[in-house]
Amino acid sequence: MLALAGRRLAGAVAICLGLTVVLFVLQHLSATDPVRVLVGPSASTAQVDAVRHQLGYDLPLYAQWWHYVTGAATGDLQTSLRTHRPVATDIAQFLPASIELALFSCLIAAVLALVLGIGTAGRWRGAAPLNTVLLAIASAPAFLLTLLGIMVFYRNLGWLPPTGRTSIADPPGGPTGLLTVDGLLTGRPDVTLDALRHLVMPAVCVALLPAIAVGRTLRSSLTTALESDHIRTAKAKGLSRRAILLHHGLRNSATTPLSMAGLQLGSVFASLVVVETVFAWPGLGLYISQSIPTSDFPAIAGTTLLLAVAYVAVNTAVDITQAVLDPRLAR
Amino acid sequence: MTAILTSTRASGRLAGGLSRLNGGLVAVAVITLLAVLGPLVAPHTATEAAGVPFTPPGASALFGTDDVGHDVFSRVLYGLRLSWLSALAVVGVGMLIGLVAGVLAGLGPRWLDELLMRITDGFLAMPGALVAIAVVAAIGPSLEHTLIGVSVVWWPYYARIVRGEVRAIRSRPHVEAARLSGIGRLRVATHHVLPGTWSSLVVAASLDLGYVVLTLAGLSFLGLGAPPPAPELGAMATQGLSSILTAWWIPVFPGIGVAVLTFAANLSGDRLQAQSGRI
Amino acid sequence: MPPEDRRDPARSPSTGPDSAILSGPGSAILSGPDSPILSVQDLHVTFRRPRRPDAYALRGVDLTIGRGEIAGLVGESGSGKSVLASCVLGLLPEHPAPVVTGRVLVKGVDMLTSPETRRRAVRRLDLGSVFQDPMSSLDPTMRVGRQVVEAAGSAEEAVRLLTAAGIPDAESRMRVYPHELSGGLRQRVMIAMAVAGNPALIVADEPTTALDVTVQAQILRLLRRLRDDFGCSVLLITHDLGVASQVCDRLVVLYGGRLAETGPTTPMLSEPRHPYTASLLRSRISLTSDVARPLPTMPGEPPRPTRPLPGCAFAPRCDLRTDDCEKAPPEPRPVPGEPGRLSACLRLDELAERPAEPGSASWPPNAVSGRGPLLTLRNVHQRFRVRGQGRHVRLSALSGVDLTVEAGESVAIVGESGSGKSTLLRAVAGLTPVSSGAIELGGDARPQIVFQDAGASLTPWLSVATLLGERLSRLRLSKAETRRHIARTLTLVGLGDDVLHAKPGALSGGQRQRVAMARAIIDPPELLLCDEPTSALDASRAAGVLNQIGELRRELGMTVLFVTHDLGAARVVADRIAVMYLGRVVEIGPADAVVGSPAHPYTQALVSAIPEPGRAIAAPAGEAPDPLRPPSGCRFRTRCPAARAECASRAPAPVRLDAGHLVDCLLYEERTTAGSAAS
Repeated sequence: MLALAGRRLAGAVAICLGLTVVLFVLQHLSATDPVRVLVGPSASTAQVDAVRHQLGYDLPLYAQWWHYVTGAATGDLQTSLRTHRPVATDIAQFLPASIELALFSCLIAAVLALVLGIGTAGRWRGAAPLNTVLLAIASAPAFLLTLLGIMVFYRNLGWLPPTGRTSIADPPGGPTGLLTVDGLLTGRPDVTLDALRHLVMPAVCVALLPAIAVGRTLRSSLTTALESDHIRTAKAKGLSRRAILLHHGLRNSATTPLSMAGLQLGSVFASLVVVETVFAWPGLGLYISQSIPTSDFPAIAGTTLLLAVAYVAVNTAVDITQAVLDPRLAR
Repeated sequence: MTAILTSTRASGRLAGGLSRLNGGLVAVAVITLLAVLGPLVAPHTATEAAGVPFTPPGASALFGTDDVGHDVFSRVLYGLRLSWLSALAVVGVGMLIGLVAGVLAGLGPRWLDELLMRITDGFLAMPGALVAIAVVAAIGPSLEHTLIGVSVVWWPYYARIVRGEVRAIRSRPHVEAARLSGIGRLRVATHHVLPGTWSSLVVAASLDLGYVVLTLAGLSFLGLGAPPPAPELGAMATQGLSSILTAWWIPVFPGIGVAVLTFAANLSGDRLQAQSGRI
Repeated sequence: MPPEDRRDPARSPSTGPDSAILSGPGSAILSGPDSPILSVQDLHVTFRRPRRPDAYALRGVDLTIGRGEIAGLVGESGSGKSVLASCVLGLLPEHPAPVVTGRVLVKGVDMLTSPETRRRAVRRLDLGSVFQDPMSSLDPTMRVGRQVVEAAGSAEEAVRLLTAAGIPDAESRMRVYPHELSGGLRQRVMIAMAVAGNPALIVADEPTTALDVTVQAQILRLLRRLRDDFGCSVLLITHDLGVASQVCDRLVVLYGGRLAETGPTTPMLSEPRHPYTASLLRSRISLTSDVARPLPTMPGEPPRPTRPLPGCAFAPRCDLRTDDCEKAPPEPRPVPGEPGRLSACLRLDELAERPAEPGSASWPPNAVSGRGPLLTLRNVHQRFRVRGQGRHVRLSALSGVDLTVEAGESVAIVGESGSGKSTLLRAVAGLTPVSSGAIELGGDARPQIVFQDAGASLTPWLSVATLLGERLSRLRLSKAETRRHIARTLTLVGLGDDVLHAKPGALSGGQRQRVAMARAIIDPPELLLCDEPTSALDASRAAGVLNQIGELRRELGMTVLFVTHDLGAARVVADRIAVMYLGRVVEIGPADAVVGSPAHPYTQALVSAIPEPGRAIAAPAGEAPDPLRPPSGCRFRTRCPAARAECASRAPAPVRLDAGHLVDCLLYEERTTAGSAAS
C-alpha cells in the first residue's frame, strides 16, 4: 500500500512537471505576446523590452521554465499580468469559495449517484426509459443548466438568489473560509442559511453530469455483479436481498464507479469554470475565466497546476481505496 | 470448462459486435447529414441582420433575434454544423493518432510500449477538459487552437483502448494459431489483430462524441473559440448572458442546441455499447 | 406435517430409501420421516428469449432422492442437468425468462411457487450447494472466515466446519481471501459452507470438474464421508460417469431434457438398459480402452434445446430406433426384474440380449520409421517474471527437461495444472523462447498446434476459406489449386464445401473442431502439437477427436506431441507417455508400461486417482505446491507416501527400468545401484 502511494506520488510530480513543459512550449509557440498584453498596445518597443527583461521573458525558454518550476516548488507562482499581484496570493483569496462549491457538488453528486445506481440496478422494465432520461439530462451543457436554473428559480419562482456567494454585508472572514462552516463556528446560523441558499443552484449544476456518469457506471457494474457466481452462492446460503446487496454486491461493484468518480473530478473542475462564471461565484473558476481574455499566462498556468495536483491526489486516493476494497488489487 | 465457454462467447460477441457496429455508424452518419444540411433550411445566414434586435420568438423569427438583430434560429443551425464537425474532427484525429500509437505500443518492442504508455499515463492523469482550457488559453483563442488543444488531450484515451485491445487479442489462441500458420507478421497484424480492436474503438469513440461536443461548447462559452460573430453555440450563449432576464431566448436556444446534439450522440453511443454486449 | 396415512402407498417404508423410485405426477406432498428429501415432478423449463428461438431445457422430469442417498445426475452439455440444479435451489436465472411447470419439493416445500422468504429459509436450513468453479463462486473481496460464518452462524462453528471439510489449520485460514487458497482448498471452503447447519440435501453441480484429478479424488471421498458423518443426501451433477460411479448410490441419466435411465449405480453401469447410457459407457475413454483400433464413438450431434424432436431425443443417434421411437417421447418404465430401475427406451428388453458389437478394424501398424529424432529437448529451462507479494519474482515453469521424439512417433505429456506441460508445448511451437537449454527440430518442421478451445483458435471475423487458404501462401499455388486443396482437406476431416464461406461463429462446436484440425493439416506439418484438444469436450465427442488425430497422423505420417491432464486419453493417442510434475519429467516410457505398471509414486497416485466404474479410487495427500516455491530435492516428496529424509536433500536423476522406461526417483536409484553392485 505504501509502495503504491510512493509510486503514485513520484508519478504525480512527473505529471505536473510535464504539464508545465506542455504549457510553456505551447505558450512559446503561440502568437500571443504576454508582455505586449501586459503593457498595452500603445506602449513603445523600448518599454516592452524593458518589461520583458524585468519579468525574465527574454531568457531562453528552458531558463524561463526552470525559473518557473523552482519558484513553484517554493510557492512562488509569479505575478499575474492582469491583477499585478502574486498568483499565489490571488489563488489564496479565491480558493475557499471554490472548495466550498466543489465539496457541496461532490456531496450532492455522490448521494445522487448512489441513489441512481442502486435504485436502477438489475434488469427491470423501467430501466431502459430511465436510462434514456438520464442520458438526456447528462447531455445538457453546464451553462444551459445554470441559465435555466436562474430563469426558473430566481426569475419565475424567486426562491433562490441569482448570483454571488452571500447577500450578507459582513460575512465572517474565518477561520475556514467556507461560509457555511464559518457561520456555524462563529454562531451566526443566518450566514450559513444564506450561504446554503446561494450554494444550491451552482452546486446542483456542477453535480448533475458527474452524478449521472457515476450512477450509470454503478448501475452497470452492480447489475453485472449481481449476476455473478458468488452472488449465486450467497443466495444459495439463504442470505436476504439486503445482506447480499450490502455485503457482496456493492463492494464487488465499487471498483469501476470509483475510478469513474475520480475521473469525473476533471469534469467537475471544468464545470466549475463555467458555473462560477455564470453565477459570479468568487472562486478559481471565475479567476481563470477572467484571465482568459487578457492571456494572463501565469494566472492560468498556476491555477491549472494547483487543480492538476488536486486531481492527481484524489485519483491516488481512489487507487488506494480500490486496493483496500478488493484485496486482489493490492498485490 | 467455464473459461472456455466464456471465451467462445467472447469471440462470438467480438464478431457479433462488429456486424452490429453498422447500426451505430449509420446513426452518426445521419446526425452528420442533418448537421451539414441544417443551414439549408435556415431562413437567414448566420451573420446578416434579419430583423429588429431583441424580437421574442414568434412567427417572424422562430427563436427570436439577438442583440444586433441576427436570426437566432439560423445561427443555431449554423452553430450545430460547426459544433458537430468540430467534434468529429477531434474524435477523428484522436482515433487516428490513438490507433497508430496503440498498435505501435501493443505490437512493437517493449521499450516503445513503455515510452508511449508513460506519455499517455501522464495525459490521462490530468483533468482533460481543464488542461484543454489551459492549453487554448496559453496559445490564444481561435477555432483551430481549440481543436488542436482538445485533440492534444484526447488522443491518449484512444491509444490506451487500442493498446489494451491489441494486447488482449494478441494473446488469444487465434492469433497464436495465425502466427504458427506461416503467414507474415504484417498480415497477422492487419488481418488477425486489428479488426478485433475496431469494435471497442468505435464504441468508445461514439460514447465520447457527446462529451467532446459538451467540452467544445464549454470552451467556446469561455471565449476560447472562434471570435464573434462566428455562429458558435457556446459563444452565442455567453453573448446573451447579460440579457438572460429580459431576452432569455438568446442564450437558451443555443444551449438547447448543444443539448440536443449531445443527446443524439450519446444515444447512438449508448445503443452501440449495449449492442456490442459491454453492459 | 401431514399424518402418516396420507403417504403415497407406492412408497411404503419397506422399500427403504435405497430403492426410492420416481414418484408419478400428482403424488401428495410428503414430509414424513421416510418421505423423500427431494421430489421433482413433471418438471418442464423453457427459456423465452427475445428474437431467438425458445430453448426447451427440461421437458418433463421426475426424480426423488431419499434420506442419506447420493444420487448422480449424469448428462452431457445441453442435457438440462444444471437447470434442474437451479430449480432445486429455487435460483433459476430470471433472464432469459423461464417458463416453468411441474413441482420441485424440498422437504415438502415447493421451490418454484413458494414465497421468496420461504424458499430462502429452505436454502438456509435444508439445502447446501457446491458449484463448479470455486474461484468465482466465492466472494473475492471477503475473507474466507466471514463467508463461512454467513452460513455457519458463528466463528467457532465455521472453524469446526472448515476442519471437517479437511482444511488444515482452519483457524488461521479464516483470515485469508479466496485468491490466496489453492483450488482444492477453495472447493473445501465451499463444501464447509454447504454442510453448515446440517442440511438435508447438498446440491453439488460439477464440484470437481475444475480440479486436478488427484484433488478430485480427495473431494469425491470427502463428499462420501460427509454423507456418512452428517447423514445428508447429495445430488451430484456431473458429465463424467466415472465420477458418478465413485460416490453415487443411484444414477439418473438425462438426455435432451428428459430422463433416459435411472437405477442403482452398479447394475446400471454393468448392464445399461438405455442405448444412450450404453453408448456413453462405450465411448468413454478409460484406462482399459482398446487402443489397437479406433475408439467406439457416438454418431451424430447432441440434441439442440431450440429444436426438440417429437419423439425420443436419442433416436437420430440410435441404431435400435424404429418408427415408433420418432412419433412420441417414450415414457420411463420399470425394467422387469430389477427393482428401482427405469428406462425410457421402447426396446429396453432387446437391449439386454444384444451381443457385443464387433470392434472396428484395428489401426495399421505404426509408422515409427527409424528416421531418427525429429524433436530433441536438452536441459530446457523456462523462467517467467511474475508479480507476487508486491514485487517481481521468478517462476520456474520448466526446470531441466530432456525429451526426444522420434519421427513418426506419438508422445503424450501428462501432468496436472502447474506441471509446465503447456509451457513446454508453447516452447516447442516457438511461441515463447526458452530461458536456457536447446530445442532442436529436425528438417524444416514448422509445427502446428491443435488448441484446447478450437473455436477460440479461429479468427472470428475471417471465413473458413480465408483461414485455410492463408496457410497455403507458402506453396504459391494458383487459385484453382488452392480451392482444390481446401476441398480435399475439408473432406479429409469430414466437412463439406458448405462451410467454406461461413465464419467460425456460425459453425457448431464439432464443425469448429474440424476446421481447426483442417487448418493444422492442410499443409501437413511434420510435427503436430495438441494442447488438451479433448478436455473441454463431452465424452461422446472426445473419442471422435482422438480417432481423428490417430487417423490423420498415420495417413499423413505426422509426429505428434500431445499434452493432456488425462492419462486415459494419453494412453489412447501415444506410443510413449512422459509424466510431468512441477516443471520436470518424472517418468517416461511406453504408454502401456507407464499406465499399466507406473513406477514413480506420483504416476502411481495419478493412475489410482482416476475415477473408473468398478474400481475404488485412492487419493494422494495434499496438492501440488506453489510453483514459486518448489520443494528442495525431489519435488514430489511433500506428497509422497514413500518419502524419506534423503529426498529433501538430493534431486533424483533418471533411472532406467526397462527399455525406454525411465523414472526420476531415489527409490529406484538405490535398487539399481545395489543391483549393479551385486552383479
